[in-house]
Amino acid sequence: MEANTEIKNAKARIEHIEDVLSSVAAGELDIRIESDIEDDLTGIEQAINLLIDDLTHELKKSIKLKEDMEEKLHKIQEQQKTILQQQEDLMELSSPVSKVWDNLLILPVIGTLDSQRTQIMMENLLQKIVSTGCTTAIIDITGVPTVDTQVANHLLKTVTAARLLGAECIVSGISPAIAQTIVHLGINLSNILTKATMQSAMIYAMKKNEQLVDGKLKTNYSEQDEN
Amino acid sequence: MLEIVSDKSWKLLEKCQIQNEFDIVKARQTVRHFAKETGMGIVDQTRITTAVSELFRNMFMYAGGGDVVIEKGIVEENNTLIITCTDTGPGIDNVELAMTDGYTSGQGMGYGLPGAKRLVDKFEIVSVLNKGTTVRVMKWK
Amino acid sequence: MDFNEKRIPIIKIRDYLIVSIQVDMHDRLALQLQMQILEEISRTGAKGVLIDISTLEMVDSFIGRVLSGMASMASIMDAAVVIVGMQPAVAITLVELGLEMPGVDTALNMELGMEMLEKRLIKA
Repeated sequence: MEANTEIKNAKARIEHIEDVLSSVAAGELDIRIESDIEDDLTGIEQAINLLIDDLTHELKKSIKLKEDMEEKLHKIQEQQKTILQQQEDLMELSSPVSKVWDNLLILPVIGTLDSQRTQIMMENLLQKIVSTGCTTAIIDITGVPTVDTQVANHLLKTVTAARLLGAECIVSGISPAIAQTIVHLGINLSNILTKATMQSAMIYAMKKNEQLVDGKLKTNYSEQDEN
Repeated sequence: MLEIVSDKSWKLLEKCQIQNEFDIVKARQTVRHFAKETGMGIVDQTRITTAVSELFRNMFMYAGGGDVVIEKGIVEENNTLIITCTDTGPGIDNVELAMTDGYTSGQGMGYGLPGAKRLVDKFEIVSVLNKGTTVRVMKWK
Repeated sequence: MDFNEKRIPIIKIRDYLIVSIQVDMHDRLALQLQMQILEEISRTGAKGVLIDISTLEMVDSFIGRVLSGMASMASIMDAAVVIVGMQPAVAITLVELGLEMPGVDTALNMELGMEMLEKRLIKA
């Protein structure tokens, strides 16, 4: 027969253990089994306490991990926002329309043109034409490496729309490579006035606006107008 | 009658009828209003308003009138405005031909369909002779 | 919306007629305007007509045809028509519609429109 295992206050202590376990199950991890009695139940009591310690430690790790992940996610979202904003800025910056002389706007286009960008450029230019009342605009594509059918069609659309408004667009800066592409693609640019360089486009425009007469610049500016 | 059905997830914005010229104006102003609400830029608003104006006029001129249903929903992941025009008129004999530029039908005027199609993002048409025509256009950008 | 047959006002300044379209016109009103303008040209002997569409948010194929029709009819009556103030969104849409209105003179604003007419009349 086995020796009788003596457990003092068994009932009370077992109830206490149950209470602690329930509390832990409910999420309260600061609780531990308290007992100043040393007997055979003590082993289990201490084991349970160690288990709760481990649990607490694991939970803390898990919470920290979650916090780290949320912080990382937030950072990535911020970066995404910045990238989107920069993309927008780039679109704006890369197609500014400037009024370079009386009645003369210039739109220097730089970089590869895609459908969306060309659309924005077109609306921008037409808006500027209306707001400044300039009847001549030069679209310079010196900075554009290649032109495909879609881009050429967009350019054509821009020039036609400007004409409908009452303004004339000249496309300048057509490289030999682009000229070849245009002919190969069978794109018909006969309705667009084109010039090889921005300079020749400007000369044409200023002659048309009667600002360049007999090779001389006619201007209405006086010294006082200089800012 | 025709096979252009509305998706259940779409939200009905307005229903109206085109019975005279004033209805054409009212209806296109309604479309512009909803286009603005969908967040479209001014150029896209103008595009869709002009496109539906062509469709409404077609219904009025060739079919004596018709019904318009304006809905909004998600199409190809975009917030989309959907306008469906249905009439019980004579129908279009050769839809393919009517969709080519330069096609005219009496009075020297075409249906304006190819132009309208260029202005919108999605264009569907079903037409049966002596039964009627349904045209649906969608715009999202 | 008041759909009584309202008339769009036509003002005469010097040798020109000035028409400012400020309403979304229904088809009949547009045709009526076309007739009105021709009648005024006949009545006043005006040599030029300036049509201001700066508040027009939409020009569809019908209105476009009425406007270009007006230009051709007026020129038969020895008057020039200049359409001024087209909105960029309208211009873009007209191009995409395929309605380019060849033979119709346009100007960015009233001032430039008048200049255009004056140059015309000096030549005549």
